[in-house]
Order: sequence, then C-alpha cells, then structure tokens
Amino acid sequence: MAAVTALSMSISAFAAEPYESYIYDTWQDAIPSQNSYRIDRTVTGYDMGLQRLSDPEDPLFVSENAAKKLANPRDLYFDDDEKQFWIADTDNNRIIRLDEDLQITGCYYSVGGSTFSAPTGLYVKRSLYTDKLYIYIADTNNSRIIKASVEGDMELEMVKEYGKPDTDLYTVETFNPSKVVADAAENVYAVCSAVNQGAVQFNAKGAFQGYYGANRVEVTAAVIAQKLWRKFASNEQIDGMKRNVPVEYANFDIDEGGFIYTVTEKSNTTTDAVKKLNPAGYNIWDNVTGNEYKFGDMQSEWDPTSNSNHSTRLTDICVGNNGLINVLDYTTGRVFQYDRNANLLCIFGAKNSTNDQRGTFSNPNAVEAYKNNIYVIDGAKCDITIYSETTFGKLMHEAVELYDEGKYTEAKPVWQSVIERDGGYPLAYIGLGKAALNDGEYQKALDYFKAAYDQKDYDKAFKYAREEYIREHFTAIVVVLAVLAVLLVVVSQMHKRNKYIFKGRFKKKAKEGR
Amino acid sequence: MYEFTPVGWLKHCVFHPVEGFEDLRWKKQGSMKISLIIVFFLFVAMVADRQATGFQFNDNYVKIFNVVPLIVQSVVYYITWVVGNWSICTLLEGEGTFKKIAIYSAYSLVPYIVCTIIKVILSNFLVQEESIWISALAYLGLGWSIVLMIQAMKACHQYSFSKTLVSMLLTLVAMLLILFLAILLLSLFQQVYVFFYSVYTEIAYRIRG
Repeated sequence: MAAVTALSMSISAFAAEPYESYIYDTWQDAIPSQNSYRIDRTVTGYDMGLQRLSDPEDPLFVSENAAKKLANPRDLYFDDDEKQFWIADTDNNRIIRLDEDLQITGCYYSVGGSTFSAPTGLYVKRSLYTDKLYIYIADTNNSRIIKASVEGDMELEMVKEYGKPDTDLYTVETFNPSKVVADAAENVYAVCSAVNQGAVQFNAKGAFQGYYGANRVEVTAAVIAQKLWRKFASNEQIDGMKRNVPVEYANFDIDEGGFIYTVTEKSNTTTDAVKKLNPAGYNIWDNVTGNEYKFGDMQSEWDPTSNSNHSTRLTDICVGNNGLINVLDYTTGRVFQYDRNANLLCIFGAKNSTNDQRGTFSNPNAVEAYKNNIYVIDGAKCDITIYSETTFGKLMHEAVELYDEGKYTEAKPVWQSVIERDGGYPLAYIGLGKAALNDGEYQKALDYFKAAYDQKDYDKAFKYAREEYIREHFTAIVVVLAVLAVLLVVVSQMHKRNKYIFKGRFKKKAKEGR
Repeated sequence: MYEFTPVGWLKHCVFHPVEGFEDLRWKKQGSMKISLIIVFFLFVAMVADRQATGFQFNDNYVKIFNVVPLIVQSVVYYITWVVGNWSICTLLEGEGTFKKIAIYSAYSLVPYIVCTIIKVILSNFLVQEESIWISALAYLGLGWSIVLMIQAMKACHQYSFSKTLVSMLLTLVAMLLILFLAILLLSLFQQVYVFFYSVYTEIAYRIRG
C-alpha cells in the first residue's frame, strides 16, 4: 500500500512533461527512463519580434502588412560559427534570421529582385575561399537552389543559381528541391521530391555532378514475390507492374568531418532509416556488415486518441557540434538522441493530444541543437519549442562525452551518479563495465556487462577474466587434472583384472536378461 | 554372443550405429525404464540449453522463463513421434511394437542429449572466438542422433534403407496431423466449455431474477 502511494506521489511530482521518457534495452523492449530534457519554453513569432517588420519606425521595416507570424515554417538551421538561427518561413515566402536568443536580426524576401516562392530548406556556411557568409536556399516552387551571400540585415546578393540539371542523367520531369546542404568544397547537395536515386549533387561551379548516396529498396515479401513473378510474366505484364524504387530521403545534415547524415520517412527502422554517408556516398552505418544499427521506435504503437497506429517516420536529423545526433520523428513528435556511435541516449517530445499542451507538436518539421538545448520548429503551431537539459541529462551527456573519447576511468564517477538517478540506464552499466575492464577488475566488469546485457563486451571481459583465473589457479588445475588421469588409469586397470569398485547390481541384471 | 547390462546395451547401441539396434532386437533387450529416464533427460537438456548456457552464448529471451514450450518440444514431440511412427509403420508392415519403437527412439536420442549437455558446460568456459567448438558439438549431436534414429527404425521394423526413410518422412507428416488435431480438439473443448459456462451464467441470472 505504501509503495503504491509512493508511486502515485512520484508520478504527480514529475508529471510536468507531457511525455514519459523511455529507452530501449538489448531486446528492443521499451523500458522507462529518466527525462533527459525538459521543456524550457516555446517561442512564437511575436516573441521573436516579427512585429518589427511592419513597424515603420524600425530599421527592419519591410511593409505595413508584413506577416507578424510564422506560416508553416519548414526548416530551421543553426549556424554554429555565427551563432545565428535561420528559419525558412515557407508560406510567407521569406527567410528569417534570428540571433542565439531567437530575436529577429534580419529578414529576406528576395535575392537580387527575384522573390522566393515557398522556400523549404536552407543552409548557411561561411566560405573558406571568399570568407563571405553564404546562404543556400531550396526555393522549391521556383525550381531552383539559390546560393547567395548575406550582405546585410535585409539584403542578399545572388552568387549562383542552380536550376534543373540539363543532362540526360536527370530523368525526372520536375526539379523541386526541398532540402539543401553544402560541404566544405561548396559542393551543393539537394533533396528533391520524386528523385529517388539520392541527393542531387552540384559542384561549386554549378555543374550537375550526379546523384549521391541512394537508398536501397527495402526487401519485403511483396518485393520478393514480384521479383519471382517477373521471371514468368510477359513484357506487357511487366510494364503494368508497380516498380520497386527506394524511398527518397526526407532530410539530411552535414557534420564538421564532411559526413552527411540522412533520414528517410518510412516505418522500417533497419533499412536505411538513418545513414551516415562518407564523401564517396558509402553508408557507414550499414547493417549488412553484421552490425545492428536501429533508429526510431522499434514497434509501431496504438494511439487511442487518434485511433490509429503510430509508426516511426523520421523527418529531420541534426548533428550537434558535440557530436550528438538528434533525429525527429514526425508521427510521434519524438526526438531520438544518439551518440557518435549510434547508441540511443534518450527519447523525448510528444505529439499533440486533444489538450494542446506546451511542448507537444502538430507538425514537427525540423530539429536543431545549440549549447545544451534542443530546438524543434512546428509547422502548424508556428513556434519553436526549446528543450533544456535536466540534471540527469547533463550528467549523462558528460559521461557519454568522456566515454566516446575513450576516457572510461574519468567517466566512472559520472556514470555512478547517472545510475543513482536512473538505475536501469543500460549505457551507464556498459560505461562502468568498460572502466572496470580498463582497470583490470574483470569480475566487476562482468557483472556490469551482465546488468546491461551486453554480450559482446562481456565476451571480451570474460576472455581476460578466464586468463587471469587460469594464471592464478594454474597449480590447482594441473593437480586436479593429474589426479583424474591417474584415477582413470587405475580404474581401467582394475576393470581389466575383473575388480570393480561398484559391485553387483548391473551385473546381476545382465544375467537375468540372458 | 553379447552379454551386457541394460546400460551396457545402451552403450552398445550408441557406439555401434550399424548393427547395435539389430543386436538389441535379436537379443530382445532394451529397457522401458531407461527410455523414460532418457526422455526426462532430453527435457533437462533443453532447459539447461535455454537457461544455463554461458551468458556470452545465450541469445534467448531470458527475461521470461516458460517451461511449457520446452515440455512440448521434448516430451510431447517424443510421444507424438512414437505414436505417429507406430501408426504409420503398422500400415507399412513394420514389425516393431509400440514398446519397441518407444525404446529404440529414446536410445537414439542419447548422443543429442549428451552433446547438448557438454555444449552447455563448455559454453560457460569458452569465448565467442572459440564458438566453433560449440557449433561443432551441436552438429555432431544432431547428426549422430539422426543416423542412430534411422538405424533404430530400420532395425525395429526390419525395413530396407529407403523404406525407412519414407516411413520416417510419413511419420513427420503424421506428427503434424496429430498435433493439428490436438490443437483443434483443445480449441473445440474450450468452445464447448465456454458454451456450457454461458448457459450456466444465463440460468444463474434467471434464477436470481
């Protein structure tokens, strides 16, 4: 009874967040976990100061009827060098620049006199060659990608315009870029709708370079069945069949090392849901080589309020400068955070329910990370939700940081305090186990790995533990083996001379049987 | 010719796959008691394989332990094998009696059981790099038992080799049929039970008014 009371009390005490934190264990079962992030605040267009755009006195004045609200913002980008946020305010056909406190510092409707039409993606980077701040805009309805230099608070200067590639390799009728990134060499990569061969790649001069990092076709029973049918079907029948093409990816991000991370909106969590592509377009997080990288929710779940099955649909990815990878799920409004090696760290965020609570999303469109906060932009509520770290989150991130650097021993006290707050956190036990293994405390390491059910690391520790055991007890083992060998010889000699230690029982029966 | 204890006969059968069971039949040996013990150990070996395998080799969902599937996989399969084989081979002019089939089948399971248990013990001392030993043992146990089973059935029913194989395949089909019917029966009985129970509740409500 007391336990029940205590439980209900603790629930009411920590029910501030509209979601319950959980994490996946070795068997991909969801287990409860502590909140790593709490909702700090939400920032609407008014909080950003968008009303300044329609205030004639203000230096940022555009026109009397400039929209005071965001309208279906589709992309949020944080420029780490300049500490600035950029929003693609899609339905208002403009780009908004904000400082690190999300206060407006600039607004752009056009570049060189030609206005934007539904910009859905943007990317900002200071050029290594010209030292100018370049903005890359996926100007979707104008079928172009714009590379422009930022000249002032209201002014962009066109540097290059990338239109539909004029080559036979590009087979799609339309060119509707939705997301864009650029690498250090200023090659531009664009996700275009209806292009499923991968991202469209342009070089710095504006020439079409080809496709980059295509997804694979997910192997389902239907695909295999169709493959078989194709063997027997006539050409006319084959023409009538549905083509199996991979799903194009939804979004991507590029990290400091030039690796491009892609997400794909589909329910399968193993085939290409999240990829880490090297500059050659090869997926490093490939499950084919025996690894098991899994992203998003493992099982689709039944949502009683909307009477439908929620299945993961990963829509945006963001690699923070601390190396943590945040993946946003459109269907459930959850942010999945992973470390550099794709270990799941925490899950937070929620979809709108009937009561529209702060920190829930209708159309979560983009996620960004800055400092220790996570920013999620919502296309229907037209606001940005800011998540800040809890104490647990802070400790966990500190420990993960040390752990990823290989400083297992330094991470030990931090992991201990993580466990004090969440005794079921699997990564903490693995971290402690590795620290113990480093320190040569093999038995302890075995216990920790067992707690996390980490067979691979247990196996490593077991090898050392076994070696140590044999070394310490070598004499005893040899003596036991020698005694056993001698006994065996003696017994067999005795049997040869028809002397038995255990007499009678079986022998008697044998006689009866004859 | 041969004079063995019952356990000695078991050893003879296991280590002489070609003529062991023929000798067993010729000498009218084989103990039902030992067979039952072997089947019990089959069950024990399966439980050990699931629960006592070394941590680094145990890929089972160890959060939950349910003994019923293991009983089905050992004892129930054994019984259906014997029943199925008896019913098939009676039709196919086999000479084996029900008891003989039960004894011979159980005897031929011994290598599998022994190898499984050795495998479980070894898995507590080996690391994954040396897992070749464990899979070798698993294949050895299974293969040896299959060879013995073929020889046992051949000797038991006095069949030719090809007829033995056909009868064993048919036995597998019979097992499937038996299990299917058993499940059907179970679900039917469950429905009958539900029917009577609902009649009972209906009456109970009426009486109470």
